[in-house]
Amino acid sequence: MKLNISALEYIQGVQNGSISVEDFIARTLERIKDVDDKIHAFLHVNTNILGEAKNIDKKIKAGEKVGACAGMPISIKDNICLKDTKTTCASKILHDFVAPYDATVISKLKKEDVLFVGKANLDEFAMGLTTEFSAYGPSKNPWNLEYVPGGSSGGSAASVSSFECIASLGSDTGGSVRNPASFCGVVGYKPTYGLISRFGLISYANSIEQIGPITRTVKDTAFMLNIISGQDPNDNTTVTNSEQDFLAEIDAGVEGKKIGIIKEMIGEGIDSSVLSATKDAISKLEGLGAICEEISLDMVKYSVAAYYTITATEAGSNLARYDNLRYGYEFPVEGYEFNSYIAKARTKFGPEVTRRMILGGFVPASGHAGKYFLKALKIKQKLTEEINQKFKEYDYLIAPTVPILPFKIGEKIDDPVSLFLVDINTVTANLTGKPAISIPFAMSKGLPIGIQLLADTMQDKPLLQAAHALESTVRLPEVPI
Amino acid sequence: MCGQVDYIGEFMVTEEEIKKVAQAMKIDIHDHKEFVEKVHAMINYFEILDSAGVDDEEIVMQDLPLSKLREDKHIPFEDSLIDKLKNYKGTYVRAPKMM
Repeated sequence: MKLNISALEYIQGVQNGSISVEDFIARTLERIKDVDDKIHAFLHVNTNILGEAKNIDKKIKAGEKVGACAGMPISIKDNICLKDTKTTCASKILHDFVAPYDATVISKLKKEDVLFVGKANLDEFAMGLTTEFSAYGPSKNPWNLEYVPGGSSGGSAASVSSFECIASLGSDTGGSVRNPASFCGVVGYKPTYGLISRFGLISYANSIEQIGPITRTVKDTAFMLNIISGQDPNDNTTVTNSEQDFLAEIDAGVEGKKIGIIKEMIGEGIDSSVLSATKDAISKLEGLGAICEEISLDMVKYSVAAYYTITATEAGSNLARYDNLRYGYEFPVEGYEFNSYIAKARTKFGPEVTRRMILGGFVPASGHAGKYFLKALKIKQKLTEEINQKFKEYDYLIAPTVPILPFKIGEKIDDPVSLFLVDINTVTANLTGKPAISIPFAMSKGLPIGIQLLADTMQDKPLLQAAHALESTVRLPEVPI
Repeated sequence: MCGQVDYIGEFMVTEEEIKKVAQAMKIDIHDHKEFVEKVHAMINYFEILDSAGVDDEEIVMQDLPLSKLREDKHIPFEDSLIDKLKNYKGTYVRAPKMM
């Protein structure tokens, strides 16, 4: 039985009787046992799902209806609440935290008979883009174990890439789904802001973050979006998905569509192989009948600084809830005064989270707010105006997902500004609320390169159509592990 | 790196400032010096915001009427959340003394 199949192939196999759910799950658990000590995609593996798999097989044999996912094994980033399961955010401060409820996306997946194979590694509280800031050790890139898998949803992307599950859910605040998808050679999707409920996602920067699927194919992403999107009374920022079928008409193609090439995202500093892949992608899209032209988004130059200013401020506020009283680790309160207890308990935060908390205190502080935070909000607004203007003329925008190739573990960990700049092509979609997708497109030096497409707000369905068209022009090798 | 702007770091982050912010954020840090260099680099990178020419921009806020918010009603929770805490007494969260 092959594990390297897409979600839709798996479901078809279960439906036509060629795949037994129990066998597939057993093979998946074996695969995790064989490779995850090298990759470290998982923080916790659910070894009890074989029983659930047997039950689904029984239902199928008895002719009973099963959910659309038919026991498909997926991993969940460990900042999304899965009831009665440890949800650590890869932080020592939440080492013992067991989620008392399900996130809305989890409830929706449970209804469709997904099997949760485990919780995936991430940068602590999703703050990072390499997974090196996980308190439980970094994940590795399945294409080359000396390299980072990207982040912050690095465990999610690595688990899909290395066939430890069929799909995953990550969260994308500034590229945290698309960046690891690009580095690991899988599809990563950041939906229109509000299309997927954030209820049960442990907050980092609420105003821009979204949950997004990581899959092997664009069609699988569309399938996942059909299940997890939609308005949620528990998340007031959600918008209706208008009962759209994201999978229907996915073969619509790009003929006659206009695509803007964002010049600020392919300029100085871009790796030559990434630039070459981008030009190739543009040429392939033109071959499919699209019209591609260079455009400029002037505010992109300031987007990373604006992004980190806004996220640091929101993170500073969000992390204030970790007082170790309502949830936290074993640390007796006796002998401490209130504030000193909280300060002491917070020493369990890792260095990156501590740095961002300090930034989060610094940036909006009296005397600095006008200099940093208000300017960042103005840049966010101006960037949104610029991109809205472009979408009056263009159907899609294109750029490489990350302007450089995956880099070695440890290579950039001590240089925060150099790490910031890896985000330059992804933060625009978050700051403007637009949907964006990373499609695995090329290989260089044995490492994958992803191409990013963006569309206007609520144009998720046409975006998936264009991504599918681009995806159909390439066939990448299989991961070597 | 593509699209970035050169910037000149002028703002100095001091150990004293790190101490003040850490105290305000209630984080116990032993070696404040360790944070000075990296926070300084981050804050100085933010200086490029000054060159964006957005000083005259007005921030447009979106009002959300109360009627658009979900109804403020009690939804019973099936589990006993208090049992999930490490420190509690009866139905109260145990906290350290305030004074």
